[in-house]
Amino acid sequence: MPKRRASPDVARRNFLKGASLVGAAALTPVAANAQVAAPRPNLKAAVPGPRQIAAETLPPSKDPVTQTSSGGDFMVDVLKTLDMDYCAINCASSFRGIQEAMINHGNNTKPEILTCTHEEIAVAMAHGYAKMEGKPMAMMCHGVVGLQHAAMALYNAWCDRVPVYVMIGNILEADKRAPGAEWVHSALDPAALVREFLKWDDQPASLQHFAESAVRAYKIATTPPMGPVLLSLDAELQENPIADPEGLRIPRLAKVVPPQADSGAIAELAKMLVAAESPVLVCDRLARTPAGMARLVELAETLQCAVFDNGGRMNFPSRHPLNQSASRAALNQADVILGLETNDIWAAANSFTDRIVRTSRPTTKKGAKIVTLGTRDLYLKSNYQDFARYQELDLAIAGDGEASLPALTEAVKRLIDDGRKSAYQARGKKLAGLRLAALERVRSDATAAWDASPISVPRLCMEVYNQIKDEDWSLVGTSTGNNWPRLLWDFDKAHRWNGGSGGGGIGYTLPASLGAALANKQHGRLTVSIGGDGDFNFAPGTLWTAAHHRIPMLYVVLNNRAYHQEYMYVEAMAGRRSRGVTRADIGTTLKDPNIDYATVARGFGVHGEGPISDPGELAPALKSAIAVVKSGQPALVDVVTEPR
Amino acid sequence: MKRVPGLPVAACIVAFGIGGLGLPARAQDAPAGDAANGQRVYLADGCFTCHGRVGQGGNYYGTTPMLAKTELPFEGFKQQLRDPVRVMPAYSEAVLSDKEAADIFAFVKTLPGRRPVKDVPLLNN
Repeated sequence: MPKRRASPDVARRNFLKGASLVGAAALTPVAANAQVAAPRPNLKAAVPGPRQIAAETLPPSKDPVTQTSSGGDFMVDVLKTLDMDYCAINCASSFRGIQEAMINHGNNTKPEILTCTHEEIAVAMAHGYAKMEGKPMAMMCHGVVGLQHAAMALYNAWCDRVPVYVMIGNILEADKRAPGAEWVHSALDPAALVREFLKWDDQPASLQHFAESAVRAYKIATTPPMGPVLLSLDAELQENPIADPEGLRIPRLAKVVPPQADSGAIAELAKMLVAAESPVLVCDRLARTPAGMARLVELAETLQCAVFDNGGRMNFPSRHPLNQSASRAALNQADVILGLETNDIWAAANSFTDRIVRTSRPTTKKGAKIVTLGTRDLYLKSNYQDFARYQELDLAIAGDGEASLPALTEAVKRLIDDGRKSAYQARGKKLAGLRLAALERVRSDATAAWDASPISVPRLCMEVYNQIKDEDWSLVGTSTGNNWPRLLWDFDKAHRWNGGSGGGGIGYTLPASLGAALANKQHGRLTVSIGGDGDFNFAPGTLWTAAHHRIPMLYVVLNNRAYHQEYMYVEAMAGRRSRGVTRADIGTTLKDPNIDYATVARGFGVHGEGPISDPGELAPALKSAIAVVKSGQPALVDVVTEPR
Repeated sequence: MKRVPGLPVAACIVAFGIGGLGLPARAQDAPAGDAANGQRVYLADGCFTCHGRVGQGGNYYGTTPMLAKTELPFEGFKQQLRDPVRVMPAYSEAVLSDKEAADIFAFVKTLPGRRPVKDVPLLNN
């Protein structure tokens, strides 16, 4: 429960204490009172100036019209210590106090405001940004109506274990709410709506409380397992003058060092891996930083063992000879499976069939040992079932995967003798052959329908790759289940990929891609995303934000004119009931009329190409669009494709 | 919010799998089908939604088998329609006659399928 002030009049008295005289204000233009702040070196609460001292020593006006300090200014000072570059918002009166302070007191830097046309976009941008940049950005919204819009995107971030720093506006004191909207836009506990998928939240009752909670929120959000955090900001606290600036202090942030696994458990795991005939490393949200991929490569190469990458992050180079993600064969033949920051190790060890009677069965070799290493077990909640099915394990090690890898690799190296080295080399050679064969098989599959119209998905993916492969590219989104890029492209650097939505909530790809593009912009990378048409229609206003803030990104709409996964599910239901599948398009397709995404893009101020159905027209359209992106602007290419 | 399988390893859309059916390859048993009508039925009855308009298969959450130039015998092909393995929708006789099944079989046999990878420069990147 939020703490309430001791007296309902305290805030108002504070306001009068820090306000200028009405008469003085009447003689002074408002703009002259605005304190356009140069960044303060010490980032402490404002020292009272002559105006404030005068105001505090003179009898207060009953109805002042100007003020010389504000809680919002102090809040911005606190946020500046957290090194957040951006704050995505959809503007709302309940946070007008801090918004104005960010703009004028904070000079709209650190954080810089990004204007979004929907709260879901703001959260998803922060989600995509954090995974690419390695640090959170903020978003702000109305505490009631805005947060409900934001909820789906927050759930994605929660499931994906990504830090998003959320601030919402609320009006706590009932007697301070204007009739009408301010009542329906206020709540006793606004965060209750999303608390099941927040790592932490608070509703500070004072500015000092805000300072401590703001720093604490950042610390909690960025400690693995990471997650979204939320601060509910009382409008009075944001807007009113600071009652006691000398009493305020901004606490220092000490980031938590990610925990390494227990040394004894690491030693035991190393023994198991070294002794195994066919160990497999399964990874999902492993690589938190660019170091993660290099560490996994070192462990895999030390063991010369198979790696199965679920793609939750850029964990392992796609064309590495030990990458065996193209099929489950390595998993099914493994005698030791190590899950590294896996969300669902059960899925790696079992098959599941979605038929009238749903069945599952283990797929692992008899006697195979299964071990997990990660932070997943350290923080779970009960309502939403993202923890997946319970898997019996031989060893479950708590610790940050990326932080624990060097110790594991060293422990493995210490146990490898020359005899094993030569066996490992033979194993690695065999796996390299399998990897090459898998690539050739996928390439061969991709040749079928190469010249078809609508355009085949592998043709689309390879046309895009052909245009970007010599650039410093970064693929930051794909349509639901589109594996072709991971199968065909050469993902060789940490920024080539940043994972999926986490929660499977459609509407992620476009805005999260833009967030990642924002991060990539400062590194000069060419950002590309291949998103589905169904996904696009949840948040098309993202394009306006891209244009307005000049965020370069090539967005390819994989336009199969359907929510195609759902189309196939309805076909499956019709098949079970012997009704034929000819009407499965009802409620699952996006045709009659067809949507022209290039025209939509142009309407938002974004360069648009298409719709393109002829594969021969694809390369020129992509070239034009990439030229626009390289000039610093976003561009969209609408490609009409085969369903799969 | 849509129902979306979460992980590549968690779900696999497998329809017409080659092999695993334990059926003899008796291609000579295939009835003469009308490929043109087969194409019509193939597109109308939603085969294309998983297997592609030219039977190329797909790769979403795992592999959807290629049907072009299928090596399945007709009886195996038909059995997969009537009593499919894994998650392919079933096509009972009430919704797809044996004649239509034969027409579809004739159609997919005519599809060109793969070509040599070396003939597609973009796939050699």
